[in-house]
Amino acid sequence: MTSSPDEPRYDVLSPLSRKAVKTTAAAPRVPDLNGKTICELWDVIFRGETIYPLVREYIRKRFPDVRFVTYEEFGNFHGAREAQVSAEIPAKLRAHGADAVIVGIGA
Amino acid sequence: MLRAAAMVERLGIPTASIIGSAFLKQGEVVSKGLGVPLAMGVYPGSPMLDGDEVLRAKVEESLAPGLLRGLTGAAPEEVPSEAEVAPGVIAFSGTLDEVEEHFHRKLWTDGLPIVPPTRERVDAFLAFTDRAPDEVLAVVPQEGREATIHSIAVNGVMAGCRPEYMPILVAVIEAMVDPQFRIQDCGSTPGWEPVVIVSGDIIKALDFNSGQGVMRVGRQANTSVGRFVRMYLRNICGYRIPPGAGDKGSIGQSFMVAMAEDEGTASEIGWTTYGQDRGFALGENVVTVHSVVVITSPMYSAGDRAVEHVQQWVDIMGQSFTYWAHTGFKTGVWNPLIIAGPTVAKIIASEWSKDEVRKYLYDRILVTAERATHYARMTSTPTFSLERLVKDGILPASYAESDDPQRLLNVIIDPSMIEILVAGDPGRNQSRAYMGNHIQGPPTSRRVALPSRWKELLAKRK
Repeated sequence: MTSSPDEPRYDVLSPLSRKAVKTTAAAPRVPDLNGKTICELWDVIFRGETIYPLVREYIRKRFPDVRFVTYEEFGNFHGAREAQVSAEIPAKLRAHGADAVIVGIGA
Repeated sequence: MLRAAAMVERLGIPTASIIGSAFLKQGEVVSKGLGVPLAMGVYPGSPMLDGDEVLRAKVEESLAPGLLRGLTGAAPEEVPSEAEVAPGVIAFSGTLDEVEEHFHRKLWTDGLPIVPPTRERVDAFLAFTDRAPDEVLAVVPQEGREATIHSIAVNGVMAGCRPEYMPILVAVIEAMVDPQFRIQDCGSTPGWEPVVIVSGDIIKALDFNSGQGVMRVGRQANTSVGRFVRMYLRNICGYRIPPGAGDKGSIGQSFMVAMAEDEGTASEIGWTTYGQDRGFALGENVVTVHSVVVITSPMYSAGDRAVEHVQQWVDIMGQSFTYWAHTGFKTGVWNPLIIAGPTVAKIIASEWSKDEVRKYLYDRILVTAERATHYARMTSTPTFSLERLVKDGILPASYAESDDPQRLLNVIIDPSMIEILVAGDPGRNQSRAYMGNHIQGPPTSRRVALPSRWKELLAKRK
C-alpha cells in the first residue's frame, strides 16, 4: 500500500481489555496410581460410554490396583443441571477420596 | 469441559481431560483464560466418525497414553502470554491503510475495514453513558478479559456505530454477560449467533428499521449494532475463527443485524409488544439478546382466517426445527422467535391472542420419539434417552408416557417458550422464524439506561 505524505494519521487504542485471570499452578501429579482412586467426570456426549471403559482397561493394565469411581456417580456436569452438578462435585470427590480425575469429552 | 477440569485442579487434585484433536487450539485458549495449565489426552479426529475397532485403536495408541501421562508425568506448565498494550493507551499510529492492516494482522477485525478507534471517537461514545469507563461488568470467557464500559466504546467505534448507540451497546453486553445467557458457549460448534432485539421508543429515536428488509444490512442502527456484537465476541471473549482459535463454530453464520419491532402495528392490532411480553412497559427501552441457530425459509401464508396462517407456520417451523429439537429435549429449554409480518399479524390478531397462537403451534409441531432419538445419536449423544430426561426432571412426564417409538412428542416443550414480534414488510404476506440454541443464549433482556443529558446530547448529534 502507498500513502501520500499529507495523508492523515490516526493514533488508535487497542480493542482488547485487561485480562483478569488469577493463575494457579497445576496440582501435583500422582506417579504411581496403584492404590489410588481415579474419578470420572463426563458431559454425556461423544461416545464416552465406549471410551471410558477402554481408558479404564488401559490404565488397569499398567496399575492393577487402581480404583475407578465411574461417571454415573457425578452426573452430567454440562447442560441442564450444570450449576447443581458442578456445585456438588468437590464434596463428592472428597467423599470418594479422589486422587486424580479424568474429565471429558470435548470433541 | 475444561472449566470443570480447572475447578478440580484448584481443589489440588490432578486432572487429565479428553479432547478431540481439532479442539486442541481452542483448549489452549480456554486453559489460559481459566488460569490453570491443564493436561489433555488427545483423541485424533472425532469419535463420532469412527467404527468400534478404529476407536479402540485411537484410545489405546493416543488418548489413554496421553491421559496417563497427564496424571502421572510432569505437571503441565503455564504458557506465557504475549505482552499487551493497556486499554486507553495508544496501541498503534498510522495512516488509515496502515491502521486497517495492523488490525487485520492482530486478528482485531471481523474481516471488514473498521473505523479507527481514536481517543476522540471513543470519548464521544463515553459521553453517552453516565457509567465510568473502567467499570467492569464481568470477567468473560474465553480469555478471561474484563468486559468494561471502555471496551464497549472502542468496539462500538470499530463496528461503525454512532456515539448515541452507546446506551444500547452497554445494555447488550449487560445482557450477554448475564450467567443465564452462557457467553461461554458462544464459540460452540453449532455456530449460533446472537441477535439483538430492540424494544421501546428508542427504536424511532435511533432510526432502527422495523419494516421492509428488517433483517437486511443497510440501516446503520440495525447493521452496526449487529456487527458490534460479533466484534465484541472476537476481541473481548476471543472467539476467532482460524487463524485464531477460540471460535469452534463448524460452519457458523455471519453476524445478525439487530431486530426491531413494528410496535405501532403490534399495539394497533391489539397484541402486546415483544417488550411487554418480556415484562416491560409499553415504550420502555429494552434490548433482548437471543441466540439463533436455525432460520426458517420465508413463511408465506395466505387467506383471511387466522388458522390458515398459523397452520402454515406449523408446517414450515416443523420442517425447519424438528431436527434440532433433541438439543432442546436434552436441556429442557428452547425458544422459537417468530417475526410475524404486519399484515399477516393483523389477520391473526383479529381472531387469536398471542397465547392462542402459541398453543396452536405447541399442539401441532410434533416429532416421533424414534426420530428425535435418532437425531440426537447422529449429532453427539449415542446414549440419548427420553426416559432418563424425564426421570431427571428435565422434560415433562408426557415425553416418556409410552415406549412406542412412533409416539408423537411436542417439538416445543412449553407454549410459553414461543416468542412473537411484529416486523417486516406490511405490503407482503411473509413471516419468518428463528430458533434459539436451547440453554445457550436464551432470551435475556436489559433496560437501556439513557444518560442524564440524553435529549441534549442527542439533539447535538442531529
